[in-house]
This record gives sequence, C-alpha cells and structure tokens, in this order.
Amino acid sequence: MPTPHHIGLNIKMSDKSIQLSISGIHKSFNSKSGPVEVLSGLTFDVHEQDFVSIIGPSGCGKSTIFNIIAGLLEADQGSLIYRGEKTSSLRGRIGYMMQKDLLFPWKTVLENVLLGLKVRGEDGPNAVDMAREYLSTFGLSGFEKSYPQTLSGGMRQRVALIRTLLMDPDILLLDEPFSALDYQTRLYLESVLLEAVATFKKTVILVTHDIDEAVALSKRVVALSGRPTTVKNVHQIDIERSTPIDARAHKNFSEYFNLLCSELDIQTRKDA
Amino acid sequence: MKTKKSLVTDWLNTGSGKSLIQIMSVMIFFAVWQLGAELGFVSEFLIGTPEGIWKRFVVSILDFSLFIDTGYTLWEALLGFVIGTIIGTAIGLYLWYSKWAAQITEPFIVALNSVPKIALAPIILLWFGTGLGAKVVLVVSMTAIIALIAAHQATKDADKDLQSLLFSMGGTKHQIFFEVIIPSSMPAIISNFRINVGFGLVGAVVGEFISSKAGLGHMIYNASSLYELNSVWVGLFMLMIVGFLLYHAIDALENFMFPWRIDSGRTQIRM
Repeated sequence: MPTPHHIGLNIKMSDKSIQLSISGIHKSFNSKSGPVEVLSGLTFDVHEQDFVSIIGPSGCGKSTIFNIIAGLLEADQGSLIYRGEKTSSLRGRIGYMMQKDLLFPWKTVLENVLLGLKVRGEDGPNAVDMAREYLSTFGLSGFEKSYPQTLSGGMRQRVALIRTLLMDPDILLLDEPFSALDYQTRLYLESVLLEAVATFKKTVILVTHDIDEAVALSKRVVALSGRPTTVKNVHQIDIERSTPIDARAHKNFSEYFNLLCSELDIQTRKDA
Repeated sequence: MKTKKSLVTDWLNTGSGKSLIQIMSVMIFFAVWQLGAELGFVSEFLIGTPEGIWKRFVVSILDFSLFIDTGYTLWEALLGFVIGTIIGTAIGLYLWYSKWAAQITEPFIVALNSVPKIALAPIILLWFGTGLGAKVVLVVSMTAIIALIAAHQATKDADKDLQSLLFSMGGTKHQIFFEVIIPSSMPAIISNFRINVGFGLVGAVVGEFISSKAGLGHMIYNASSLYELNSVWVGLFMLMIVGFLLYHAIDALENFMFPWRIDSGRTQIRM
C-alpha cells in the first residue's frame, strides 16, 4: 500500500510530465470552392492529470482536433505523441462526451453505461457491479432499467459521464458536454465532473465556447485563433478550487475571465 | 351549470361515444343500401344487398368453405410475406456491410423496383405452377424488394454520432453493425411491415385470380364471373378483416419489440 508520502511524490512528478503532445497538426476539408485549411500546425501539450480547456472563435475547428485525437479523422500532417510514443490516434483509450448525450435509446441505463466495456468484451458480472456502484454514486440508482428517453437532460448527461468513466479512459475528451443544459443543472454537473476527475485522477480536455466555464474548471486554457487555426496562447489558471462555484467566487476569477475575453477579441469593457 | 345538450356532446366525445357514432354511421350506410335495393334504386343483380351478403356469409360459414378459403389466402400471404421480408431485410442490411455488394446490386435493385411486380405474375405461374408455391413466390417477389429498400435506407439513416462514438471506443465494424446499425434500423423495418403485409394479400389474391383451386381470390373471381355479387362481397369483407387484423398484429409487434420508444402521440394536436 502506498504511503501518503509516495502519493504526494507521484502527483508532483506527474504534474510535470507530459501525457499527450499535439504537434504540428494540419487538417483541410474540401468544400465547393476548394480545400479549406482548418487546422494550421496546431501544437500544444497536455500534462498528466491535466484539465485543459480549449477555447476559440466558433468554427475554428475545436471539434476537429477531438475527432483527430479520437481517430474519427486523420490529420493531413503532424503527429500525436502519447507518453513519448508516436501514435496515429487514441481510439479505444479515450472517453468522448459531446453536447448530445449519445445514449442508445434502445438500451437501458445500465446497458448504456456498460457499452464501452462491452465493446472491449469486459462486461462481466464485476463490471455490472461496478456500474451499479457508479450509478448510485451519481444519484441514479433505481434507474438501471429505465430507458434514456424517460430521463431528464441532466440525468442523461450523468449517464453519459458514467459510461465514459467506466471505460477507465486515459483521457476524457469533453466537447461542450453541458452547453445544452440549463444553468443550474450545468453548475451541478460541473461540480460532479470536477469531483469525478479528482477521484479517478483523470486527464481532461474540454472544448467549450464558454469562457466562464473554462476558467472555473481548468488548470490551463488553450486559446485558439480563427481559421486557419493555430494556438494563440496557453494560460495557466491558478485558482484554488474545490467546486466550480468556489472558483467563480475567487478573487482572480474575473481577471482571468477578462484576459481570455480579450484573447478572443471579445469586448468586455469598452463599447464595441 | 351544464345544459342537457352539452352533456350529450360531452358524452359523444368520450371513447364509447365515438364508437357509438362510428357504429351508427356504418349501420345507416347498410340500412340505406338495403332500403335502396328494396325500393329498386340499387340493382341487386349488379351490386348485391346486405341481406343477401349476410345469408351468403352464414351459408359459407356453415359449410366451412369460408374458413378454408380465408385460411388458404392468409397462409399464402403470410408465408410469402415472412420469406420475402427475411430475404429482403437480410440483403438490405448486408448492403451496409459491403459497399462493394451495394454497388454491384444497385442496378438490379433499381430495375426490379421499377417493374410493377404484379406484372411478373403470369411468368411466375408459368414457372411455379398453379399451387401454393407460385402464390408464395409471387408474394415474395413483391415484398422482398420493398423490404430490401426499406432496410437499406434505414441503415443509411442510422445515427452517425452513435457510430462515431462506438468507433472512438475502439468498436469494430462488426460491433457497429450489431450495436448501432441493426437496432436503429429495426423501427423503420418493422414499420414497413404494414405496407408489405398488404402487398402480401395483393400477391396472394392476384395469384388466385390467375389460377387456383381455393382461396378468397378464387372465390371472388369465380363468384363475379357468375354474377354472384353477394359472394364477391363476402370475399371482400373477409379480405378487409384479414388486412385489418394483420395491420394490428404489426402494431402489437411494434409495441412488444420497442418498449424504449415513448409514445410521441398519434393523436393530433388540438386545433
């Protein structure tokens, strides 16, 4: 059993080391008027147990990056380096969550959360027990046999989060997962997420258009330029937080908020 | 306070009230028909009468011929429908799996779909004789292509995001096929059964028209060549009943197979 000293040491070490390097990624799409370059040499690092938010103007290809990492798209150029090894994608090792909860309507809640393990052929009795435990931790016990359509939006997104966590992915890719929810549900799910990430020691990359959310949740924020997209800046967010609400009340919160707004050329103080 | 009149209209808006209105309207229709025949406005010879139809109905039930004919037609239609649907659906689903097969078969599918299948009836009877086999083949030819097209289209309409999600989890093509494509295609496939079961009856009846020894189509064809209009009506009403029952059997099958579908409501919005 590791002593507290060991745990502390591990965290300190892993804080420094790089888990995923996204290096010089180029991607163009064909349109009627010829190829459009979306990503133009995108480069940034993700640390072990990092929480990185990616913000940028709309249409800058935030989801494209995710699709490349997840193996749904191939980059034209550039590489992904995972823990020192070059890889074409992290397919099967990431947990992908989108704005749509993407629950399978014909599967019950329990079947839905077990989906990732089923794909790997690991959905035995142990997995079922674990799934039930997660469901009860996230306040969903009693809904195991319900179909997704009978649940509220917030509950469905929690089911999607459990499905993602159960797979024990190396990195969580969250593509605006809360943007379709009302503000209250969203604050609640943000704190559920932060807690889960801390408990399970996961790395998160969050794509969001919401600067407020990015500052409240992230350790670091990657700001992107407009198309063709490159990284404009990477900001360290030094806010001690236990919940996203705490973070929003922190004295440095508005400073970071304004900094990122100006980064995205959003006028906050002067009249436009 | 409610007036007497509004109480009546309220009751007519309930389930049993609506049924009463519908039963009444059908009864009035038959009464007018019967009266018209008795007064000489409606030709009994060319159109028949409700009374004559009823008598004919009772006779054919008592001598069991109605059961035999109905059973014959129902069996041809169902057997052909089941075989045609299974073959068509299986090929339609497989065409998702193999783009190559889809490309090769496309011209044949387009060609077969363009021909009214009923036009094939004479050759099918030529090839398969006058018995049960020929009618079943005719029904298969009518239903298989429709099931194929419905299934293939349903696979194309399957949710792309669910496929992407499963792929990002490391899912294989095989897993995507069985976990996403087939389950998400099933509602459209089953819903198409409604159309196809109707075609099953069309095929069986037309096959019987051309050549047969029993069946409702046989009964209708023979009776009409003998100007026994009442018998024709008995056959038609039986076909109506069979079609109605099959349609509702598919409704029941749908409710049984898709418990996850919440009723989005068939009732119209209030306007």
